Amino acid sequence: MSIRSSPGPKVLSLLRRLEEGALVGMLAGMIVLAVTQIVLRNVLGGGLVWADPLLRLAVLWLGMAGAALASREGRHIAIDTLPRLLPPRARAGVRLVTDLFTAAVAALLARHATRLVLADRAADATAFSGVPAWLAEAVLPVAFAVVAWRYLAMAWRDGRELARRAG
Amino acid sequence: MILTGLVLLVLALAGTPLFAIIAASALLGFARGGVDPMAVVGEFFRIADMPVLLAIPLFTFAGYLLSESGAPKRLVRLSNALLSWLPGGLALVALVTCALFTAFTGASGVTIVAVGALLYPAFRHAGYEERFSLGLLTTGGSLGLLFPPSLPLILYGVVAGTNVDRLFLAGVLPGLVMVLLLGVWCLHQGGRIQEGAPFSWREAGAALAAAAWELPLPLLVLGGVYSGVFAVSEVAAVTALYVTVVEVGVHREVTWRQLPGVMRESAVLVGGILVILGASLASTNYLIDAQVPEKLFAFVTTHVASKFTFLVVLNIFLLILGMILDIFSAVVIVVPLVLPLAAGYGIDPLHLGMIFLANMQIGYSTPPVGMNLFIASYRFGKPVLELYRASLPFVLLLLLAVLVITYVPALSLLLVRR
Repeated sequence: MSIRSSPGPKVLSLLRRLEEGALVGMLAGMIVLAVTQIVLRNVLGGGLVWADPLLRLAVLWLGMAGAALASREGRHIAIDTLPRLLPPRARAGVRLVTDLFTAAVAALLARHATRLVLADRAADATAFSGVPAWLAEAVLPVAFAVVAWRYLAMAWRDGRELARRAG
Repeated sequence: MILTGLVLLVLALAGTPLFAIIAASALLGFARGGVDPMAVVGEFFRIADMPVLLAIPLFTFAGYLLSESGAPKRLVRLSNALLSWLPGGLALVALVTCALFTAFTGASGVTIVAVGALLYPAFRHAGYEERFSLGLLTTGGSLGLLFPPSLPLILYGVVAGTNVDRLFLAGVLPGLVMVLLLGVWCLHQGGRIQEGAPFSWREAGAALAAAAWELPLPLLVLGGVYSGVFAVSEVAAVTALYVTVVEVGVHREVTWRQLPGVMRESAVLVGGILVILGASLASTNYLIDAQVPEKLFAFVTTHVASKFTFLVVLNIFLLILGMILDIFSAVVIVVPLVLPLAAGYGIDPLHLGMIFLANMQIGYSTPPVGMNLFIASYRFGKPVLELYRASLPFVLLLLLAVLVITYVPALSLLLVRR
């Protein structure tokens, strides 16, 4: 199979830039909001009611977005000493297994996260200040699905690498 | 159950991301206990319930930004101006710089890249042996881990449910013990090689002026928390904003265009840590439901009689753990199990934190996983084994420091019990 030409990669690169932009915007927003909150609290004697829960939620969103990004580059925390000692072909084989496993776990997490979001939507639960719980949780299924997809893509590359070295 | 445990262990050793291993064990555990696995994801969501966690992305960003700027250079210049009149002063410069810098970058390997690379040529130029220089700069990469506002301290506080403010204070004296022990060794070794240079008031003044913008940072962190004016996450927010203004606005060493890249890098690290934290919140929950801590406690108390022996066993266990796991995963996975045990032997959670992190710090410079060894190997272009040999005397000194920290609880608790 040859590498697809546009529009696939173009859409993908746009999505990636969107992902990174969202991440940067979130972190910048967190700094600004946290500092604003300190100023308001100390100068006016009271901060914004929704700021603290929003900041806490932003930590989760940033963390999940960061985890999705780490998956793109295979940079999750792992014990990678032993595979480094293996010959290239065996290493590709081991990677194929570990990447598939990671994709499967992430997919399971995405599935259960989707159930959680749907359940809270049906229950009409509220997270804070009128923000519905399902919306606050929505980052979980999306991020886990992205993680699963990226490890699946890595497994695909591992498989091709393995086939190339075998053949 | 033992079989699935073994399979997961093999997968972990084969390089599977640890979050997937922990999440898998949580999913399996919940399913076996008849709990809807949806609860695993619910536990992930608890990350949004922990106010202190806000400090992690903000301090990470501030640390990464500092390492991208000229701050390491200014810090080296300043400590050089203040310390180089001592025979062997350069080695001391390295210790102080590494410790201060690691506290802000959270021992994520940035120190060796940013500070070590600056100091290594200086060491060689001053006539230090290659082995001594490499050993010092490799182990230095994680020195200062016990000083605020290091990420492992914050994470320990979150997982152990201890007040992070108090942890910040608890770490000061144990961290100083490490720096002092290594400092004596450095002066002893370096004194034979490097004579003291005459102290220059002019250079000291100039170096102080150059670092004027960064100097308030440690004061801001310790002072802000110590005085009780700011919460930890507030200090983190102020630090992040301050560092941005200074390095991007005043020094202009990092441009606005480079800023998103720094943010992106910090988010990758934060994501890696938080996703492990989320997964282990779930797996810990399962372990508690299965009464694993109680069983562990019953087992250990029948075999270990005194607090003294327990501490010996704990140290050995943590040293081995540090050789296999990185500090973040170790804290998140093991602290919930060790905490009730230690409490049973009357060990203060703050003291346990210092013992835990001090042991983990040694793991940074020991094979097989020691992160410092790999980063230094990459940075200095030396084989890992050579770096390990070079680090050995420093590792032994750190071991001595760990023993002192372990058996003198007052070091960890003195400042806290004001």
